[in-house]
Amino acid sequence: MKYLDYSLTEIIDLLNSGQVTSQELVRECFDRIKETQDLNALNSTYFDEAMKRAGEIDAARARGENVGALGGVPVVLKDNINYLGTRTTCASKFLENFVSPYTATCASKLHDAGAVIIAKANMDEFAMGSSNENSAFGAVRNPVDTSRVPGGSSGGSACTVAARQCFASLGTDTGGSIREPASFCGVVGIKPTYGRVSRYGVVAFASSLDQVGPLTRTVKDNALMLNVIAGADDMDMTASKVAVPDYLADIDKGVKGLKIGVAKQFFSDKLSGDVRTALEQAIEWYKEAGAEIVTVDLPSLDTALAVYYVISSAEAASNLARFDGVKYGVRAENYADVVDLYFKSRTQGFGKEVKRRIMLGNYVLSSGYYDAFYRKAKRVQKVIRNEFSEALKMCDCLISPTTATTAFKLGEKSGDHVAMYLTDIFTVPVNIASVPAISLPCGKDGQGLPIGMQLIGKHFDEATLYRVANAFETAHKEDK
Amino acid sequence: MSITIEDVKKLAKLSRLEFTEAETAEFVAELEATLAQVDAINKVDVSNVDLLEKTINADTELRADEIKQSLTAAEIVANAPDAQDGAFLVPVTVAEE
Repeated sequence: MKYLDYSLTEIIDLLNSGQVTSQELVRECFDRIKETQDLNALNSTYFDEAMKRAGEIDAARARGENVGALGGVPVVLKDNINYLGTRTTCASKFLENFVSPYTATCASKLHDAGAVIIAKANMDEFAMGSSNENSAFGAVRNPVDTSRVPGGSSGGSACTVAARQCFASLGTDTGGSIREPASFCGVVGIKPTYGRVSRYGVVAFASSLDQVGPLTRTVKDNALMLNVIAGADDMDMTASKVAVPDYLADIDKGVKGLKIGVAKQFFSDKLSGDVRTALEQAIEWYKEAGAEIVTVDLPSLDTALAVYYVISSAEAASNLARFDGVKYGVRAENYADVVDLYFKSRTQGFGKEVKRRIMLGNYVLSSGYYDAFYRKAKRVQKVIRNEFSEALKMCDCLISPTTATTAFKLGEKSGDHVAMYLTDIFTVPVNIASVPAISLPCGKDGQGLPIGMQLIGKHFDEATLYRVANAFETAHKEDK
Repeated sequence: MSITIEDVKKLAKLSRLEFTEAETAEFVAELEATLAQVDAINKVDVSNVDLLEKTINADTELRADEIKQSLTAAEIVANAPDAQDGAFLVPVTVAEE
């Protein structure tokens, strides 16, 4: 394995200078996938197709043609992103045999930029979970310590990048599903502003909160990936027309003169000692690097999780109503009539956590409870949004831990769904406020497990997040 | 918030899901625990909140209504558990007298 330790940006330089071919990279990735298959990071792989496409890109490059910003680089998609002719299972028994009849916009943008899609990553079923233990195809393991979870729901996407099976991946984030696994596996993950990346072709969980984003080993790699996938889309009216800047343009400008906000609500007693220390050191480093640290207030922050569970479950119950055993997916074998077919197919097809969210969603939407729960939650969402807007007026970005603890053991929280939900307390408010946030490594705990810090930005200001994140990463490279 | 077995049964029906008696009982406890957490939303004063005012994505608009090539019927039913001649097959829904 000669090339897998290179970052995405480094490997593109090697490809462009002819020191390595795309086919060599695909081969190395598949050797690595085989060697690390116990991690269970991938649901399906496409060796033959990837080799064919890599060969075409190698030939085009040899002819001097423009092969795109990601020309020849092996990447992985989360298994809820449609890619024509491949299985898109959402890690659900229901969609075990579903073959994408079209390609999601984010995947076609990667393809058009020359990326070679080599596999689809395992995940929590329908992106519901924080540990990747809710997959119908088995749990994913954390490559740093295989007795631990990789985080979820984009656990496979984080694991495959951390384990060096590929150079970058796409995940989706509804309440922390990119950032929490990035933090647990020691990689970089961004949840862009709601509307920055098209959701067309991405299987919906909670449509008003879902957002696609890249997971990579470095901040610059991440900026390059977002450069490729961001932008408006005729097929998704919520994909914003706000101009997409070059996220690499100002990435090396440092933090001198920038203001970084600290909210005391992010430093609650729930924070483990090692995470708190790592964050305090990061804040100290930013101060020394010339940033001004300002104190901000987010008084309603601790209600965000409640808002999230009402809104996301309500939307999930509605989105998953279409799974009926008729149009696609698995149909139950024995049923009395068409209504019974719906009951039996859904009961057999969905896993436990998915059923839990559907039940909660239908509860908060049902007659008599709609005003008390759903409408109320939408109002509190507005309050939280306003608090973030006010806080972000006083600074360029906010800093917080990504998670209160490092990766926990497989099975440790699977019996206690409330404890599992609490894993997301620092990531969920970001989705509720629709703002962007990046998670990047900021040290290790006493057991050598990665700690993640989260930088939260203004709407459509991912560029500042990359700049602030890159400054820290560049200064701490040797600690890795 | 107190949840009853009947509440869970009604929800299951709305959700088109079947549960055993044991699962139903489990759901009573789980829903109660979750709703106890969700109660946090009642701590916030929302009397001045206008739900209709837009915050972001104010630039969204519908695309022009043009006829374009889309998936064929054959492509659409390719994933159906049962299909015939480009149509989804379901059990009899209207019975004869």
